[in-house]
Amino acid sequence: MFAELNSILNTSPDSFKPGEFILVSDKHTDASFLIHHFLSFYLRAGCKVCFLGLVQSFSHYSAISQRLGVSLTQAREKGQLVFLEGLKESLGVLLQASKGTRTMDFLRDPSSGLRGLYDFVRDNVRGAVGGAEEWGPPVLLVDDLSVVLSLGVSVGAALDFSHYCRATVCSELQGSMVMLVRCEAEEEEESDDEGSERLLRGLIHQCSLTLQVQGLPTGYCRDIHGQVRWITLFVCVCVREWKKREKEIACYM
Amino acid sequence: MLLEVLQGTEAGGFILIQDSVNYCGRHLLKSCINAALKREEVVHVLGFEVSQEELNDGLDKTSAQRLHFHNAYSDPLGWTGNSPFTVHQFTLEDIGTLLKQTPQAKAVTLVIDSLSWILRHHDPAAICQKLQALKKGGVVRAVIGLLHSDLHQRGTVGSICHLATSVITVAPGTRGLGAFAKITRRTKSGKLMQDEEIFSINEDLTVTIQSKRSHPGSTPMNTDESEVDPTANLTFNLRLSDTQREAKEKLPLPFVFSKEKKSALLHPGTGSGRILYEPDANDDYDQEDPDDDLDV
Repeated sequence: MFAELNSILNTSPDSFKPGEFILVSDKHTDASFLIHHFLSFYLRAGCKVCFLGLVQSFSHYSAISQRLGVSLTQAREKGQLVFLEGLKESLGVLLQASKGTRTMDFLRDPSSGLRGLYDFVRDNVRGAVGGAEEWGPPVLLVDDLSVVLSLGVSVGAALDFSHYCRATVCSELQGSMVMLVRCEAEEEEESDDEGSERLLRGLIHQCSLTLQVQGLPTGYCRDIHGQVRWITLFVCVCVREWKKREKEIACYM
Repeated sequence: MLLEVLQGTEAGGFILIQDSVNYCGRHLLKSCINAALKREEVVHVLGFEVSQEELNDGLDKTSAQRLHFHNAYSDPLGWTGNSPFTVHQFTLEDIGTLLKQTPQAKAVTLVIDSLSWILRHHDPAAICQKLQALKKGGVVRAVIGLLHSDLHQRGTVGSICHLATSVITVAPGTRGLGAFAKITRRTKSGKLMQDEEIFSINEDLTVTIQSKRSHPGSTPMNTDESEVDPTANLTFNLRLSDTQREAKEKLPLPFVFSKEKKSALLHPGTGSGRILYEPDANDDYDQEDPDDDLDV
């Protein structure tokens, strides 16, 4: 969890706005540091976190979270964190080792959409009634949603999935949602609407806060790693430049 | 013209609000709903994109009984099995059934939030046919739809715009000056009217027009000029005062051979050095000036 980001967003693990859908997008750079930030933020806030890790292994996030002061292994054992290890599950689907779960069905049949993935989310955010510990509002984290496009899933199916997650997690259960979308650095074409740009636009229409992380327009710089635009309610609130340090990020106006 | 469109809807009207990621048209849509409620009309909302709480937030509470929200937000595709309204039910028969739930003699305004959701799951041509039938059929008095123009192809957006009697395209205005709206209105006689206005939406969802005919294309240039000023915030001065600028413009360039330079070279003033030459015995001294044949 990065303290400076908290002060810019005016939130803290003790007080944050419920029902938020935060969209993180990146272009020409890597915004996964924000996912690590939100993961440790919500775990510290005592929320029940459902993490769809589609691009990295559990140990990757665990190692980074350790440096941010949060133990993912402990959280998983306690039942606070439910982690879908996409890479491991996909191997099972492709080798037909596990037939029971429909979560990663879209790998076999991309045209069927992400309904199986939504069912997984729905079953895990509601939480066990009468469980050992009472957790805070549920949180869904997705890293990252644009990878399903390269697996053959259509933009419409991805938008349907995010809509359903928002309806369940944010509106019904008053929880929060953070999704990462990566944009390919290609030129926009009028005719080619199927792509990460269209997915990004669709998600911007759905979300309440967008954090757009980009490389600096002037090019590579050793000291400044990029710039972030905060957009809420379609109004760009501020643009900050950021630099990633060991355990903190520094933001400059 | 924006206020006229919001206030008066003739029968068979179809108002389309087009927005993009840069500016959300939902606030204007809520203004339309509020205006219809204040006119004592019955409003039916097909809500696909936002929940009922989010849509009702800010609307006139006193006319709440005239507002009917049909929840197509929580399960628009029927995944849970007990959905109140799905996107596949966007047909004349099903909409007619919905409207019959509230039997009123008064005219009904149908609000669709949003058309983009429906267009993602239906063929655009079929949607156009249904919208046309809704307009003409007399089931509803007016239709108001929200469309995210940057989520569809130009042809689809154009087709929907052609059906509409009024199209309001919203875009962000310059900072602090509200939003920009471009309105295109088609009367029944076929006359086309266009207007551009800067507007803002107040807390009670009424619309205030701030100015007219201010193109958003011109303003970004001005803001760019005022933003990027390289001579500001430096530790040294890069600017010129007026006298300095005049002196700079008067200065001749170093390699331009002007008349003054030529005369200065050919006729050196007093006090400049003279050359005294005493020829040696071996020198071949020619009295003639070797530069005589030069044409300067």
